Amino acid sequence: MPIDLIVFLVLLASGYIFGQAAEKRHYKSIFEREKALHGILCSSERHLPEMGNVEGTLVSGSVVISIDYFKRFVAGLRNLFGGRISAYESLLDRARREAILRMKAEAGAYGASSVWNIRLETSSIYKNTQGSIGSVEVLAYGTAIKFR
Amino acid sequence: MALYENPEIPEGINVTAEHPLKDFVLLLLAATGILLAAVLALSLLAGYLVRYVPFAQEQALASRLSTEFQRANSDASKQKQAYLQALANRLAANMDLPKDMSITVHYSTDKTVNAMATLGGNIIIFQGLIDVLPNENALAMVMAHEIAHVRNRHPIVALGRGFAVLLAISSLTGVGDELMQRWVSNMSMITLFSFSRSQEHEADVDALQALLKTYGHVEGAAAFFEYAAKQPRLELTQLLSTHPGLEDRVAQIQQFAQEHDAAGKHELRALPDFIMLHEPQAPATATCD
Repeated sequence: MPIDLIVFLVLLASGYIFGQAAEKRHYKSIFEREKALHGILCSSERHLPEMGNVEGTLVSGSVVISIDYFKRFVAGLRNLFGGRISAYESLLDRARREAILRMKAEAGAYGASSVWNIRLETSSIYKNTQGSIGSVEVLAYGTAIKFR
Repeated sequence: MALYENPEIPEGINVTAEHPLKDFVLLLLAATGILLAAVLALSLLAGYLVRYVPFAQEQALASRLSTEFQRANSDASKQKQAYLQALANRLAANMDLPKDMSITVHYSTDKTVNAMATLGGNIIIFQGLIDVLPNENALAMVMAHEIAHVRNRHPIVALGRGFAVLLAISSLTGVGDELMQRWVSNMSMITLFSFSRSQEHEADVDALQALLKTYGHVEGAAAFFEYAAKQPRLELTQLLSTHPGLEDRVAQIQQFAQEHDAAGKHELRALPDFIMLHEPQAPATATCD
């Protein structure tokens, strides 16, 4: 049996096992923190409604998440046939929510009751580099508002 | 003041709730299917194109690769080989071989009950086969069958198909180069080929025609298959695995005989005495691994 194939299968299996475990753990933590930070209102509204005497500041949160070998392989197969890359959907969902949570955590530390004009930016790291593991960065930023 | 709120959004909107392994298995099966179909198409195409390789080229290839033919080194072997070659020539004269095609018969003292046709018009007849045949007509049937393989370019078609598959696999998996070199350098012309059932059938029909032209009848042609049908399968797997069912072949021969033979008893030609004599077994050769 060629050594290449063994290495490949080991990578695939470990990618699946560790990738799934990490995803499960991450979602659990996301659910908990979303509940905890639910009190801070989030909106993409650009114009603040009349709120009286408030002050604001820029808050941001960013996260980089790497794809595991298993998902990358499945996505590679998907490239042949087209269709939704469901393997990537959960990856980006986690990244967006984590970035917003970090932003909200920063806003909470500032003492804000709400964050406005929230924007999300996504970029892939290692773009198009041959043989590299794909990672995405998601940055969330907005204006945190607190009452004086 | 306008009312803003963050209601709880249900899960599963942005993420497909599907087991990741399901996607993986489906995609893998589809990709494997496409790959297999492509390799099959490639091998069929190679088998088709390789017929256009001139026979002289095939012979040149065979002479470069043929280290396995046992040389007739004793007088008895030479006599047997000459007899077999003469028989082949007689049959070949009635088989419409292309002008540039020639048949070379090799005799092997090996006890294998077999005969085979390989690249370059080389045919190997084993002593083991001769031992189980009752007369020359039966031997002629086997010989004509092998000549028909050569005439229909079956060995090089098998080589072309095998080579295409190997090339595809090695270039896809990337484990190629080393494996490829090993395969080419060790290329065993004898174990390499397996002909398809339709090729075997084609060869049988051609062989019967040749027998009819050479002897005027096809009696005795079924002798080898009748012998083989009585044997436990294991000993003969090498020969029979790709061959059509023996009963079918015997039936085919009988049907051919009914259609083409004049009724009545035909004379069968005996094998010469010297061909049945055994000589001390030559040192083991690589012919039957």
